[in-house]
Amino acid sequence: MKLYEWKLKPYDWMIKYTRQTEWIDRRGILLWLAFYAGGLGGGLYLVSLYFDSLWGMFTSWLIILVFKGGFHLAYLGKPLRFWRIVLRPQTSWLARGLIFVVLFVGFAAIQLCFSYWLPGTGGEVAFKVLAGIMAFAVATYTGFAMNYLKAIPFWNSALLPVLYISSSILAGFGLIILIALYGGNVDITTAEAGSRWLLIINALLIAIYLWSATYMGLSGKQSVIEQMRGSIAPIFWVGVVMLGIIIPIAISVSSYYAGEASYLLLIIAIISELIGSMALKYCVLKAGIYTPLLPTSAY
Amino acid sequence: MVACRMEHFLPPDMLWLRLMVWETGKYPAVTEVVYPMRCMHCQDAPCVKVCPTGATQRREDGIVWIDQDKCVGCRYCILACPYQARTYLPKIREFFPGYGLTEYEKIGQRLYPHQAGTTEKCNFCMERVDVGLERGLKPGVDREATPACVNVCPAKALHFGDLDDPFSEVSTMIRRKSGSQLRPEFGTNPSAYYVAGE
Repeated sequence: MKLYEWKLKPYDWMIKYTRQTEWIDRRGILLWLAFYAGGLGGGLYLVSLYFDSLWGMFTSWLIILVFKGGFHLAYLGKPLRFWRIVLRPQTSWLARGLIFVVLFVGFAAIQLCFSYWLPGTGGEVAFKVLAGIMAFAVATYTGFAMNYLKAIPFWNSALLPVLYISSSILAGFGLIILIALYGGNVDITTAEAGSRWLLIINALLIAIYLWSATYMGLSGKQSVIEQMRGSIAPIFWVGVVMLGIIIPIAISVSSYYAGEASYLLLIIAIISELIGSMALKYCVLKAGIYTPLLPTSAY
Repeated sequence: MVACRMEHFLPPDMLWLRLMVWETGKYPAVTEVVYPMRCMHCQDAPCVKVCPTGATQRREDGIVWIDQDKCVGCRYCILACPYQARTYLPKIREFFPGYGLTEYEKIGQRLYPHQAGTTEKCNFCMERVDVGLERGLKPGVDREATPACVNVCPAKALHFGDLDDPFSEVSTMIRRKSGSQLRPEFGTNPSAYYVAGE
């Protein structure tokens, strides 16, 4: 019997495929939002650095400080002990992640001050580099944190961090276009071109990731089946494929041939991209399945 | 499971020891197989590695335990454990909803305080083991130094002892009965072994 056809009964626990729930169900939703905000903020900062958009950098700083930090803290069972999450950076990606977030918030705050009051100085450049490295780390570390978990074969892929950074930068491109539409100092044509390429790269990465997951044992295959035909299939097909890939690519290609996309179409493409990026992280978290403790032949 | 609950005053929805049950064979020759499942106290425990606060620790004697005062409730360890041996305690509920805590539960909270917002798992009754060792007793041999589940198992199906001692009861039993770890391919080197029944 296939995973998407049955509901787990209490006595099936660990004998059959069991989905992870801690990082997506109930309060786990907060962690998903934190992961998304981290990616979005990190991606936006990197794109803003390229376009030298002060508004973009400030927005990304706010996203990471308020949403990434806030949602992550709200998720913890003992949020007042958050300061303890730095003790084992040598092995724990969550510890490294918190360090990256704190350093990003600090470096970016100093950089924003330099950019506003002392632009063009060596200090501004130095802190842009430091904050850029930390933004990259914030956007990527969730992929590594999940990739480290061998208990969930679907996540145990080296492609996951690559997919996460690609998706984050894509979402960053979406937000920077939005900032440009409201008067930010950003070249929309260049941002659109970058977004167009990243959309294609991201679509390819999703396809390769899912294809490679089918080779990660039966559990990896079940995770893919769960995405394609299981209970999360509507979110995958509508959110990830339709909104995250097809609609933005269609609008992007049409604007490429038409010369310029209308304001409304651009807004639709950006919203689709952002929802697609959210849906991707949701589906990856939701499809994390443990390997059953009994070999398949036992039941 | 009941002895474990009594020993640690486990709140509702929390089990440190569980049973994995399935059937093999075809009617009429069907056999029910039962595996007690708890934390495997892995020698290469992934939960210890991923814990960002150092709350999950491995002692020199091999017991993997959680320092509840350090646990931040991130639940990374729950995902890292391929044996799904850990449970998150979101809040402490009463056994009889709406009637408040019973005297037994209140005593339990004093004797063995559980912290809502942290993760829990089997600790091989390390408090009993430690007290027993201080009194010069031998874990696995003397009841006062042996985990509660092992003491009460009527079928004597559970055994506890020193794997480092090649002449201990458990080492001998593993050798004699070709004991094996559950899913050794997970690569965590569990300290719990399963042997075939008589």
